[in-house]
Parts: sequence; C-alpha cells; structure tokens
Amino acid sequence: MAAISTRRLGKELKEIHSEGCPVGVTLVSADNFECWYFTIQVMGESEYEGEAFMLKFRFEPTYPIASPAVQFVVGNGQEAPVHPHVYSNGHICASILGNEWSPVLGVISICVTLQSMLASCKKKERPTDNERYVKHAPENPKKTRFEYHDDDV
Amino acid sequence: MKVTVKQWHPVAQWRWDMGDDHTPDEEGDVCGICRVPYEGCCPACKMPGDDCPLMWGQCTHVFHMHCVLKWTNTAASKGLCPMDRRPWSAVPCLLSSSVAFAEHRSFLVTADRKVAR
Repeated sequence: MAAISTRRLGKELKEIHSEGCPVGVTLVSADNFECWYFTIQVMGESEYEGEAFMLKFRFEPTYPIASPAVQFVVGNGQEAPVHPHVYSNGHICASILGNEWSPVLGVISICVTLQSMLASCKKKERPTDNERYVKHAPENPKKTRFEYHDDDV
Repeated sequence: MKVTVKQWHPVAQWRWDMGDDHTPDEEGDVCGICRVPYEGCCPACKMPGDDCPLMWGQCTHVFHMHCVLKWTNTAASKGLCPMDRRPWSAVPCLLSSSVAFAEHRSFLVTADRKVAR
C-alpha cells in the first residue's frame, strides 16, 4: 500500500499547480514524494528586501502525522537568512516544525509561516548559541530538541 | 393504457449526517488531516462508508476516525485536536449516530422507464 504521505502530498502538489503558490513563494522542485524545494521571499519592506532563500522539505512515509524536516539550503550559492531563529547551517528553531506541529498544516502553510517569521524580524542576527549548535548539529534538524524561547520574533 | 416497466436503474447517493447546523468551511468538506472528502475514505482504507467513519470532537472538529486516531496515538500530538490544540475528546454518540445514519442513507432515485406499446 502506498504511504499516506504520497496521497496527501499528491493533493498538495495538485493544489499548487492549479491555484499557484502565495506571493513570494515559488516551487523549485517536487519530483518525488520525499524531498521538495521552494524559495521564499519577504514581500514589502523588511530586513530581507531583495533576498530569496531556498527551503528544503523532507517527508517521512507517515507525513502529515509526522512533521516534515524543514531547513534552509546552505551552499551552492544559497545562504540561510540571518535571523535570531535560523542557524547558519540552515536549521530553523520554529515551534510549528517541532512540538507544535499539527497534521492539518502543510507545505504552503509552513512557507507562509516562515515568510512571516522573516518579515517580523527587527534585527538581523544569528541565534546566540549558533557556533555551539552548528558544531554538533545532527544532519536532520528533526533530531534536535529545540527550546522555543519566544513567540514574537 | 397499460404501462409495463421493463427496466429501471435506481441511482443512489449518500452523505454523512453532519447535523443541521453544519456549514462547510472554506476548505470544503474534507478531512483536515488527509484532505480527502469526508465521504471518501482515509488513505489506509479502500472503501468509503461504514468501515471508514468520521469522528467528532467535543470541540466540534471532524476528521476521518482513522486519521485522527493515528494522530492522537502519537506522543507528539499530546492528545490535542489538530485544529485548535484543545484536548481531543471524541463525542461517542455522534460517531455511532453517523454510522447509523449511513445505514439510512438518503436515496435520490431516478427511474429510467421504458414504456411498452
């Protein structure tokens, strides 16, 4: 039997193709049901004007019961945004990707949440523990137990 | 005039009884978890209907029973409703009444009659 992720992702992809992505979100590739790439840009005035960032989504067969592994792509000309919740290796400390994941969320709602996380940033800086984290970070950000300090950035 | 019905094709349609006050939300009547219509079945099932019923929460949110149980059985769910993150508690009578309703499906019958001369 096909994984539950296949049917759900098929529906999400069909909707993206028929209705398009929200402004500032672009589908880069979705050639299989394991790994998708998007770029996000912050529209309007923000600290990130003119910048675009690539997001990598990895799905387990039990998606959307299991959250996807989401990170910014670093390398090949791509950089992670400088943001207090984004580590320089692309890992993101955002509660909806961790302990506040819900299976009613999806790829597009994650893109939009991350867009607004960047849009509301007032000061471009790395997390205070960036160096320590990046040195020992697991390859998959889902293996990190992030602590969520605040909800307003 | 004597009419003999030689053949007729009944056509039936069924829907879950969502209650009179149910209004479809902006996403349409789909399960928020698998995004398949309520009248379809969850990704694990092949046949819609009694074998893949709906489950209502006290919070009034509705999902395919199999979808929401998969979620609430994970530690990550912390037993919360995927929609509003309030503690998920199923309404047992509503589950059984929806199943009962499925056995009293409303039929839309159209007859295709052939009249003999």
